[in-house]
Amino acid sequence: MHYIVRQLGFYLTAFLIAISFNFMLPRLMPGDPLDALFSATQGRMDETQMAAIREMYGFMDGSIIEQYLAYLYSIISLDLGPSVLMFPVSVTQVIGQALPWTIFLALGSLIVALIIGISIGTYASYHRSGFFGQVVPPVLAFISNFPYVVTALILFYIFGVQLDILPISYTYDPDLTPGFHWDFILSVIKHAILPMGSMILVGVATWVFNMRNAMINVLGEDYITMAEAKGLSSTRVMTRYAGRNAILPVATAIAMAIGFSFAGSILTEVVFNYQGLGNVLLKGIVARDYPLIQAILLILVVAVLTANFIADLVYVWLDPRISK
Amino acid sequence: MSEVLLEINNLCVDYVLPNGIARAVNNVSLSIKKGETLGLAGESGCGKSTLAFSISNLHKAPALISEGEILFQGQDVLKMRPKTLKAYRWNNVSVVFQSAMNSLNPVISIAEQLTDVIRAHTKASAKDAELRAIELLEIVGIHKERLHSFPYQLSGGMRQRVVIAIALALEPELIIMDEPTTALDVVVEREILNQLYELKQTFGFSILFISHDLSLMAEIADRIGVMYAGNLIELGLAKEVFHHPIHPYTKGLVSSFPSIHGPKETLYGIPGSPLNLLDKPQGCDFQARCPDCHHKCQQEVPRLSSDTPDRLVACHNL
Ligand SMILES: Nc1ncnc2c1ncn2[C@@H]1O[C@H](COP(=O)(O)OP(=O)(O)O)[C@@H](O)[C@H]1O
Ligand SMILES: [Mg+2]
Repeated sequence: MHYIVRQLGFYLTAFLIAISFNFMLPRLMPGDPLDALFSATQGRMDETQMAAIREMYGFMDGSIIEQYLAYLYSIISLDLGPSVLMFPVSVTQVIGQALPWTIFLALGSLIVALIIGISIGTYASYHRSGFFGQVVPPVLAFISNFPYVVTALILFYIFGVQLDILPISYTYDPDLTPGFHWDFILSVIKHAILPMGSMILVGVATWVFNMRNAMINVLGEDYITMAEAKGLSSTRVMTRYAGRNAILPVATAIAMAIGFSFAGSILTEVVFNYQGLGNVLLKGIVARDYPLIQAILLILVVAVLTANFIADLVYVWLDPRISK
Repeated sequence: MSEVLLEINNLCVDYVLPNGIARAVNNVSLSIKKGETLGLAGESGCGKSTLAFSISNLHKAPALISEGEILFQGQDVLKMRPKTLKAYRWNNVSVVFQSAMNSLNPVISIAEQLTDVIRAHTKASAKDAELRAIELLEIVGIHKERLHSFPYQLSGGMRQRVVIAIALALEPELIIMDEPTTALDVVVEREILNQLYELKQTFGFSILFISHDLSLMAEIADRIGVMYAGNLIELGLAKEVFHHPIHPYTKGLVSSFPSIHGPKETLYGIPGSPLNLLDKPQGCDFQARCPDCHHKCQQEVPRLSSDTPDRLVACHNL
């Protein structure tokens, strides 16, 4: 329990540092930060709206402390002001629409890649002298050597263009109204196959090798020999005795990967024109929509910290020795 | 003569290494009788654990059993099909490994490590298996409150008892104990050995007790076998081997341990260092360290032979 409280404190501190950094950044820019920040609006906003954004960013009259507190308040109340790009829609709204798709894409492909990768890694190392253990890891190593974009474009070309059996744009068929009905769900799944598939294909090898390295260490332990001498089934020895322990070091890597998977999905969203956060970020950068960009970066920070914290909780659950 | 439980015939185990083949067990033949405690002695690296692993057919690459047979109640363990082998393991032969401290999985509870072996081999329900686990813990003197603890929450001696409790779970005919107490302090060692003796009285299993401590073995074993560089070089009744060793290596081994009870003796031990298994000499493996090495010792490998029916020695200087 102590451990978890300590970790929570650590992540809150990290979050505070991140948002403070976000606060300071525009103030460290050369010249007039406000001009830099709002030159992109190109007169699409009137004075009162500009003033609202200024205030939201804490660029108001008063001491720096007052400015900082106002800034904190706007974050806590999720009032991030209007987007420059999609004015007058608020940043919160823009993000609220895009974020679920990114979470779906990033976490969905990570989870599938983890399940496949860890299973293959466990099996291949436990049966390392067999056909599977000898053949599959090198093949995966070969596939994972291509840069992501190359793999994604090959899939794009084969399944989306040549065979033309899978959609290569959008998160669902725009003719459909979103809701809990089969047409929509099927459409979402179909549209996710290529973007997710490309991320899974590239991600799996990492987990196979992470797991295999951990397994090889564990398989040399005496408790594995004892488990075998006990006449337990090899499935049980492989999963409960070896896999269970091998996953501990991998859990740390998983925590890191959650953050990276969000970053990775940005590229995927661009290739497959998928309407997630990455797509919005790209548009925001092109349009110099600072409020939007800052909010997205903030979300990435929160996502990574939350993911790490969840990983800590899982770690405690996996390894009873830690909670002490 | 009591019934033979386990018979090892001409067992050879090799480690196939990049720089050659190391024969860790060389043509060893042994038998263990029902209810007997057989001690196996010899300095570290002489092949005791390798021999023990073979009995449960646990070897994996780079180890290779290249010759011999291991008969458990007449059935060849090395030829068993996977299913038969799984049933044989622990049901007939359980093992307390050399590093018993590390033979418990650190992230699995004691309860599960006790019950899984029971459930793998019997039709016991989860509830019955747990009751049996509690019973086993009590047999080795551990309070049932400890059932749901994890290995790191127990002391070294307690962990060792848990391992023994697991070894007893299916009441096997043979328990292999590979240096079960080397990691423990003398007091705990005593306690555990006494307890083991009582358990043996109750359950009547046989023990293959591996140790490099001959004086300890003289106390608890019926017979003692001594190994050197993979060879069995002397075998006889425990007291005989300990008090009247014949092979020069056994003599050295006996004198390198001070007797706890007897008068102080000077220790002369064995000069030289253990043999490099990849570079064995012609003739007797012990020649380089032997005080009476003759011409014949450099030519011919000595074979185990006996003067008296109960004593076997592999030495040209009989
Ligand atoms: N996994 C292994 N790979 C290579 N050589 C090994 C391995 N295990 C044991 N050996 C060698 O086999 C010999 C016998 O080892 P072991 O049976 O562990 O001896 P003991 O139990 O008597 O100390 C030693 O020379 C050791 O170096
Ligand atoms: Mg050993």
